[in-house]
Amino acid sequence: MRSDNDDRINRRTMLTYAGTAAAVGLAGCSGNGGDGSDGSDGSDGDDGTDGSDGSDGSDGDDGGDEAFELGVTMGQMDSGLDPQDHAETNTEIIVGQVYEGLLDRDKEGGIIEGLATDWERTEDGSVRFVLRDTSFHNGDPVTSEDVRFSIRRIVDDDVGIASPQKNDLGSVSEVVAGDGEVTVSFEGFNPIAFQLFATNGEIVQQSWIEENDGNFINRNTNGTGPFVVTEYDSGNEVAYEPNDDYWGGDVPVDALTMSASSESSTRVNRLLAEETDIVTNVPPQEVSRVESSDVAGINSVPSARIIFLQMRYDVEPFSSQQFRQAMNHAVDVESIIENVLNGFGNITGQPTLEGHVGHNPDIEPYPYDPEEAERLVDESGHAGVEITLQTPIGRYLGDVEIAQAAANQIDSLSNVSCSLEQREFSSLVQDITTGNIEDKPHFNLLGWGNGEFDGSQTITPLMTTEGALTILENEELDQLMVDAESTEDPDERVEILQEANQLAHDLAPWVFLHQQFSVYGVSSDISWEPRADEFIDPDTATQQ
Amino acid sequence: MSFGRFVLKRSLQGLGVVWGVVTVVFALRFVTPGSAINAVAPLDASQETRQAIAAELGLDQPLYVQYGQYIFDLLRGDMGFSYIRGQEVVGLVFARLPATVELALAASVVAIALSIPLGVLSATRRNQPVDYGATLFSLGGISTPNFWLGIMLILVFAVEFDVFNTSGRGVDVGDVAVSIVGSDPFVGTLLAWLAYITLPAIALGTYFMALITRLTRSGMLDELGKGYVQAARAKGLPNTLVRYKHALRNTLIPVITVLGLQLGTLIGGAVITEAVFSWPGLGTLVIDSINRRDWPVLQGSLIVIGTSFVLVNVLVDAVYAYLDPQVVND
Repeated sequence: MRSDNDDRINRRTMLTYAGTAAAVGLAGCSGNGGDGSDGSDGSDGDDGTDGSDGSDGSDGDDGGDEAFELGVTMGQMDSGLDPQDHAETNTEIIVGQVYEGLLDRDKEGGIIEGLATDWERTEDGSVRFVLRDTSFHNGDPVTSEDVRFSIRRIVDDDVGIASPQKNDLGSVSEVVAGDGEVTVSFEGFNPIAFQLFATNGEIVQQSWIEENDGNFINRNTNGTGPFVVTEYDSGNEVAYEPNDDYWGGDVPVDALTMSASSESSTRVNRLLAEETDIVTNVPPQEVSRVESSDVAGINSVPSARIIFLQMRYDVEPFSSQQFRQAMNHAVDVESIIENVLNGFGNITGQPTLEGHVGHNPDIEPYPYDPEEAERLVDESGHAGVEITLQTPIGRYLGDVEIAQAAANQIDSLSNVSCSLEQREFSSLVQDITTGNIEDKPHFNLLGWGNGEFDGSQTITPLMTTEGALTILENEELDQLMVDAESTEDPDERVEILQEANQLAHDLAPWVFLHQQFSVYGVSSDISWEPRADEFIDPDTATQQ
Repeated sequence: MSFGRFVLKRSLQGLGVVWGVVTVVFALRFVTPGSAINAVAPLDASQETRQAIAAELGLDQPLYVQYGQYIFDLLRGDMGFSYIRGQEVVGLVFARLPATVELALAASVVAIALSIPLGVLSATRRNQPVDYGATLFSLGGISTPNFWLGIMLILVFAVEFDVFNTSGRGVDVGDVAVSIVGSDPFVGTLLAWLAYITLPAIALGTYFMALITRLTRSGMLDELGKGYVQAARAKGLPNTLVRYKHALRNTLIPVITVLGLQLGTLIGGAVITEAVFSWPGLGTLVIDSINRRDWPVLQGSLIVIGTSFVLVNVLVDAVYAYLDPQVVND
């Protein structure tokens, strides 16, 4: 591993010889090096089917002489480099360049191989992973004991840390390390085991973790991924170089820098000044500025995040199904997408997004129909009611503006008054995550990212009686989700989830709003396609 | 009271202020909505997981135990660990302090270099176009929000004309110093440093500059009307000598006092400017800590900011007492 000092001198020297201020921030976007084509991926193991090896494919050559230095600027930096001691996207993006799980996802969310080359379900319902013959960045081989330790460190509070990812791998009951393979058992049948392992469960080296304290593990890395951290400036910048021994072949990027600017205008300015190559969360009002520039463009992709208005079923007027449906008719989601989000959103009518397991293609979103909304409100017996919509500030793309528009549209009904209360997210989430439904807000905007691409991962926590974030109690929906979690036949499970989505649509515990888009500003000097799961994979970027 | 006792008394008072900062900030965590657990755990984490994280962070302990432990650790120089990053607070805070001090000093230099000549010019050419211009300039500087000014500076000088960098720190002043004796070319390093620091220094220093301009102008006018100035003129001394050797020197005494105090304010008040320019200083650390309810880091940052402010104040008091012994007796 290179020392911090080496990298610092290189950067300073580069800056110094640049001579002019304009040259200081260059992000290495020039040059015309050839693309390194990736090896083809292994076939998917979606829906509980087994996965198979993918061919390695040929490595592309570097082509040009100039170094390909790539800069990524996000809204927030990491919360430490321990891959198992965080639960947020930005940290995952930063540590995910270094650490890998047993399985991974392609850009569309399909399951592909990671540190496991093969995966299958055993007869007793456990899952078995055949490990890749590869090494950590310190040169030590990845062993089945390392994998066992990594999984246990996540799910068992007695192994090192109380990991916030504890629930992300399901109810793991046993992990058995074999010869080049690992078998994971669950409490009961886990129909989405492979989905969970494709999104979660990064692998660390047991001896490296045990020999170092938390402060060190959060400042240093030892993974297996395409990049190696060369400089870590906590909360400011992380610099990487390619892992020359990466099992996936040559990485086309010669140097990678991850940094953050909390101000979206600053991120966009950095992009337009050619100081960085990829910026995240370009707000709708900045899109035209990026698109009209000569140096960058917009790349967007529907994300795995759904935005909605929660209505608590146990308080008036939201205890009335008719009133809840009325709220769905009262909000013009298409208009909000067009005018507030600049088109960056897909209208929804069910909790499961299109492309996710269990999505019901027969469900149409509630049409915007204020007259029908007024009629339903009258029928519900709550005409003249006053309600308040609570919204977080700055948590989701255009959240306050979306909530303002929705509240205004509801307020424009002749028989409902709706006001808006803006709350800081930390404060709102304190109420939302309380264990008691009685303490939760009556009516609030929320977003939910489903990294597993499976409908159960939205419906269960948000709509079932025992769900951590539920605002609904419905025995029929509860039973459907119990059935979905215990059904081994993937097709039958999809049917159950589709039925659950139809029920959720009819019960209308949410005002179904939209699927959020991930909107990136991307330098014209590079070619890079974003992923559906909000992860950024710079190793797939190439020079133009 | 002797000078030594005066300084000791002021220092102890300063220590009391720092303790007050520690206690107030510690108390704030219990009246502020939101919890670090929500920044650590996913939204759908079970109550069991939340309790395990709370126990790991020590948040399940009674209030007095947490406070006592914190003060005890603090006296040993241990500010604890970040709830969110799992890293030592001392390392996080002191890694950011140099950037903030550097920016505060640069902003002061920008402010002083422009404000004092402008204030003098304004006073010596009272009610002339130069005076009106300086007054308008200082009024604009005081009235302009520095976040807006920062964004405008970036748009014009970094994006449009590509003269400076939009954000970040890049080369620090230490690199410039090393380049004087090292192998790196000094001019190139200096330019690279200026490319990053100029815009945030202007954005942060503008309010300060406007303030000092007004102070210098009024002080200078006051001094120019005094008897010793008229006596000097009567003796036939040239105007330049009277203005810059006699009047300006006396004008600068209160200006320097304000400068010292404002430096402390700049260290603590750079939060917005640092956010706009992604300057990796204490300000951005404070904002991030507040957003994530990372109380140990927030407390550590505020202790350092508070201590800096107290130190500057004690130093100013000491200098004042040294220059004017009457202050000691008062």
